[in-house]
Amino acid sequence: MINHDKRVLAVGVFAAGLISSVSFASATEYPLSIENCGTVLQFDAAPDRVVSLGQSTTEILYSLGLADKVKGTGVWFGPVMDEFKDVNASVPRLADNDPGFETVVAQKPQLVATQYQWHVGPKGTVGTTEQFNELSIPVYTAPADCVGKDNAGGGDGVRHEGFTMDLIYREISDLAQIFDAEDRGDALIASLKERQESSLARVTASGHDNVSAVFWFSSPEINSDPYVAGKNGAAGYIAGKLGVRNIIDSNEEWPTVGWETIARANPDIIVIGKMGRRRFPADDWQVKMDFLKTDPVASQMKAVRNGNIVVMDAQSMDPTIRLINGIETLAEAVERLSASN
Amino acid sequence: MFETSPVQQPVQPPRQSLAGRAYLVRAGVSLGALILLVGVIAMAAAKGETHIPLGTVLQTIANHLWQAGYDVDPIDAGIIWNYRISRAMVAAACGASLALSGAVLQALLRNSLADPYLLGISAGASTGAVSVAILGFGAGMVSLSLGAFVGALVAFGFVALLAIPAGRGAGAIILAGVAGSQLFNALTSFIVTKAATADEARGVMFWLLGNLSGVRWPDVYLALPVAVIGLLGCLWYSRALDAFTFGVESAASLGVPVRRVYVVLIAIAASMTAVMVSIVGAIGFVGLVIPHAARFFVGTRHGFLLPASALIGAVFLVAADIVSRIILDGQVLPIGVITALIGAPAFAIILCHGRVLR
Repeated sequence: MINHDKRVLAVGVFAAGLISSVSFASATEYPLSIENCGTVLQFDAAPDRVVSLGQSTTEILYSLGLADKVKGTGVWFGPVMDEFKDVNASVPRLADNDPGFETVVAQKPQLVATQYQWHVGPKGTVGTTEQFNELSIPVYTAPADCVGKDNAGGGDGVRHEGFTMDLIYREISDLAQIFDAEDRGDALIASLKERQESSLARVTASGHDNVSAVFWFSSPEINSDPYVAGKNGAAGYIAGKLGVRNIIDSNEEWPTVGWETIARANPDIIVIGKMGRRRFPADDWQVKMDFLKTDPVASQMKAVRNGNIVVMDAQSMDPTIRLINGIETLAEAVERLSASN
Repeated sequence: MFETSPVQQPVQPPRQSLAGRAYLVRAGVSLGALILLVGVIAMAAAKGETHIPLGTVLQTIANHLWQAGYDVDPIDAGIIWNYRISRAMVAAACGASLALSGAVLQALLRNSLADPYLLGISAGASTGAVSVAILGFGAGMVSLSLGAFVGALVAFGFVALLAIPAGRGAGAIILAGVAGSQLFNALTSFIVTKAATADEARGVMFWLLGNLSGVRWPDVYLALPVAVIGLLGCLWYSRALDAFTFGVESAASLGVPVRRVYVVLIAIAASMTAVMVSIVGAIGFVGLVIPHAARFFVGTRHGFLLPASALIGAVFLVAADIVSRIILDGQVLPIGVITALIGAPAFAIILCHGRVLR
């Protein structure tokens, strides 16, 4: 009996070794065809030169160990992740926001990877997909910005289908495949999934019951109707995963909702965005915090009175590789809330 | 238009009883508008994005006005007193100021199409606002409102400077205003096209169309005194304004200090408008149409016309704000859309009635 168990174990270990060695052995076969946002991209070999527009896409490329292939970056929302500070310093930053079309082309990219169609897409501000294709430069668009999402109306777009982290995993595995780095892609996805699962386990263990939250990104004027997360975006996904109810029920990515509505919904937790952007005074998380504590109505909300205000990296509330950090941050807050009840 | 020129009045010698009755009618209109204003502000307190029972609304108001001590949920009470009533008060002050500015400018420039934004103020305010929001002037420390206020004053200064060498007359001021407005509108479009993302452009444009959502009591403490002082200032010159409707030369021959009246009244109208635009954005239609409506009710004598314009403007804007909040469920329309949407047909009715009566 004992022997038998040992044998099963041995077979299991052998099999596991086989699978992992197989996955290490799997190299991308070129020519490669990849379906991306309604078009098919063709690669005869792994690109040597890529321009990356969008911080999350850039950070995914860095996470895959492909920094040496990145010949230019743009569309930054804040400082790069700490672990990539040195790597990023050696990559040319074409612009903080949108670089010009010619600046991108001048890097002689064999691929342009974009996080948002706003920058490269049917009406891209940097250039249209067609413009790049005419120069035989394929454009890879983050699936999070096109699958189940309509960008035709401008702005932040409208999501018909809820965002899920699978869209980020797909971006990781697509890019890994294009650059013949599938093993690293699989490892990255596995570690992100594991972090999500352990956060989930913590929240479940805390035994929370029907916790509600609102995600406040910013406001054009500090007192005016704030931009808050809709139900289908990344923040909605974070809430849904952790069993937290987002009090905002809108298909828009970041609808404006009046404080009257938010105060009366009276969520248990208020998440406020922390970002490098300083376009509106309310971009500063401390300004948001001051508002919550001093506004005659907002200060009466239970989240404010009980101190359940959570500061979250704004990029973690958007469809980015950092979303997992957002899950961890909110999970901690739910744990604290359940402990105090 | 249907403003009876005062020139015609001597032609129909007023009989004493008729004049007395007209006086009563005018006073009645003003009193009615005042009662309506209180009523509409109370309605604004009761209507909002969310439903709060009328009893709670009344109890909250009683608590604040008479320390009645009812037990009201603090969030409900805060929403009613700090959000809704302050918002209605600012809407009233803003409607009054815009209508008043319109009435004054129409008389001063003897042009029935004159409105408060003629002096380049809304164009300048939008340039100031987008400079702050999109170009990032002030690095997040300067609010949209301050940017808009400074922009409005700069544009008005530009128009004034242009009008002086152009001849200082009504025509010169109107043309300078047109030129200034075009210039600053072009600057705004330039900034938006060059530097804005859709998100930014949407935020600023929504605000520019008129938005009362961020209004609180401190805004009331600014808007209300400005409206009241503006009204008193204009009333001080109501006789002079009556004289102006005969033309500048006639006014001068009647002993009106033409240049001083011009400068003071235009400055009052411009500063009132600039303050209101910086608080709530450029709300259209009120300043153009309300004075005409008021003229239909109380005639062209500015002693009546100015307070009536102010009151009707106040009632109209508070009502428009209520409609903007309830017409679409869970969404607030820009109030400028509502003012035109309700205002245009209402004005058309008044216009046609006016012709029938005459």
